[in-house]
Amino acid sequence: MTGIVVGNTIRNAWKQVLYWGLGLGVLGVYIVFIGSDSDIVKGYASLFESMPPAMLQAFGASSLEMFSSTEGWIVTIFVSEAAIFLSVFAVLAGMNITANEENSGIMDVALSLPISRTVYLAERWLGYAALGLGILVLTGAITLVSTAMFSPGADGGKVLLTILNLYPGTLLVMTVTCLLGAVLRRRAAAVGAAAVFVVASFIFNIIGAAASGVIADLMQALSYFSHAQGEGIVQGSYDMAGTVAVLVVVAVGFSLSVKQFESRDIGL
Amino acid sequence: MLRRNASQESGSEESNMASGSVIATTGLTKAYGSGSQITLALDKLDLRVNQGEIFGYLGPNGAGKTTTIRLLLDLIRPSSGSATIFDMDVRAQSVEIHSRIGFMPGELSLWEGRTGLQIINYIASVRGDAKGIAKNADEIAERLQLDTSKRVRDLSSGNKRKLGLVLALMHEPELLILDEPTGGLDPLVQQTFHEMMNEYREKGKTVFLSSHVLSEVQAICDRVGILRDGDLKAVESVERLTHVEFHHIEVDFRDAIPAGLQEQLANMPQVSQLSANGNRISMRLVGDFDPLLRAIGAGYVELLRVEEPTLEDIFLAFYSDKEKAS
Repeated sequence: MTGIVVGNTIRNAWKQVLYWGLGLGVLGVYIVFIGSDSDIVKGYASLFESMPPAMLQAFGASSLEMFSSTEGWIVTIFVSEAAIFLSVFAVLAGMNITANEENSGIMDVALSLPISRTVYLAERWLGYAALGLGILVLTGAITLVSTAMFSPGADGGKVLLTILNLYPGTLLVMTVTCLLGAVLRRRAAAVGAAAVFVVASFIFNIIGAAASGVIADLMQALSYFSHAQGEGIVQGSYDMAGTVAVLVVVAVGFSLSVKQFESRDIGL
Repeated sequence: MLRRNASQESGSEESNMASGSVIATTGLTKAYGSGSQITLALDKLDLRVNQGEIFGYLGPNGAGKTTTIRLLLDLIRPSSGSATIFDMDVRAQSVEIHSRIGFMPGELSLWEGRTGLQIINYIASVRGDAKGIAKNADEIAERLQLDTSKRVRDLSSGNKRKLGLVLALMHEPELLILDEPTGGLDPLVQQTFHEMMNEYREKGKTVFLSSHVLSEVQAICDRVGILRDGDLKAVESVERLTHVEFHHIEVDFRDAIPAGLQEQLANMPQVSQLSANGNRISMRLVGDFDPLLRAIGAGYVELLRVEEPTLEDIFLAFYSDKEKAS
């Protein structure tokens, strides 16, 4: 590994960091700004109070107290929305690792160079992983500054940590999409399957959070959305095991992608 | 029986196998699909390409030329058989092989948002010795009159092909593998390309190029392999192949076909497939035009159409001549 492909990947796509980071940052500013008005937050809280508790839990908050706090508001609303947007980025990035280049024919040129398929895929993956981190850092920085401006009493460090903790889930979706692209080969099929993975994960998280019982717990555990753990970070009950589990799945998915990519025909 | 394998060629071919060729394939086969849906894209290819020659790989679309090239580059994997380049297995030692070859695909795709220069620098970096390679690239681009400051998306298809040639040639590879290299290039650049290939050969380097343009193959190749339906029908020197070169001729007379012309043409050994329809006479002509022009001069020629033979025509003529000879 020389890092040349990583560098080229970042050079080709660095604008995505700006677009996605600024877009999510603006969303963060908006949510922080609303959260600075306690009347609005209370209004939302009373709205949730009139609903079954499951509705609030589906949004990722276990109690109205948590939801009504400034950090709780930011984390609950922002994390649930940012996680969805980042999933879209991750699917696009996962497709860009190999599937799109293969589909366009660029891969024929790339793999005629003195670089193995494994190294090429690994460097592309690292490039997009770096871009994803860049987006989260930019988003976090903007949100941190806006928190300091509009909600100076809030713990900006926790807000930033919550945003950065979206990274394992982003890597997971990216890797799963990369694997789907390596297995299915047809770009449309891979995108479709990745979308099903994201939507199913989202639904599993909502149902799992709203319901109780073994099956509901299992559904939530299977959803990468549940491992963002915004509330856990704010309340100091962050569970490292969930994040580690996501990263293990990322490692397995990456290995399977490499194996599949190494063993099959390219560009057909 | 027309079918013949390249390995059944001359004794010199056998000796090349023994001495070690730049490219060597043995029973190389590629099939797609499964069960009753199997399509044989390449069938037991036995091919040797020697050092310092320009080898033309001829065949109509879908004959298996690109499949062969993709197998040699380890982009696709064979169903059976094997291939070596520089006596190294194309699959097991692909990285080492790729460091010594230059490749241009038939349908060239590059990073659309990047300039030619950025792509040159990137690929030069992957290949190592970025400075030296980039300097070569400058010279080749200048020779091909390519502006490398433009983004790929702003390049015409011909200029994209030029960029592809720069990328394939800039590191001075020992072996060039080019898939339909001159498609979309204007005649002047094609001429430059032919000169470059000849210079390349003079340096003792090897070129394997696929084409369905006979004139191009004639202009630069030493030997030619003819592929049809995934089957290598023959490997011949260009001299032998062009020996059977012919043209389809149509002559439209303003008035009736001159009396006795048909008989006169029918007696010419270089004319065959003669037919007449109204004021038009059609035939296949082998060799020089002069005897024909003298013969048709008796009438007022309104239009004279000359069509290059298709590869299929050449192929059929080549084998019908061989069968007659045997």
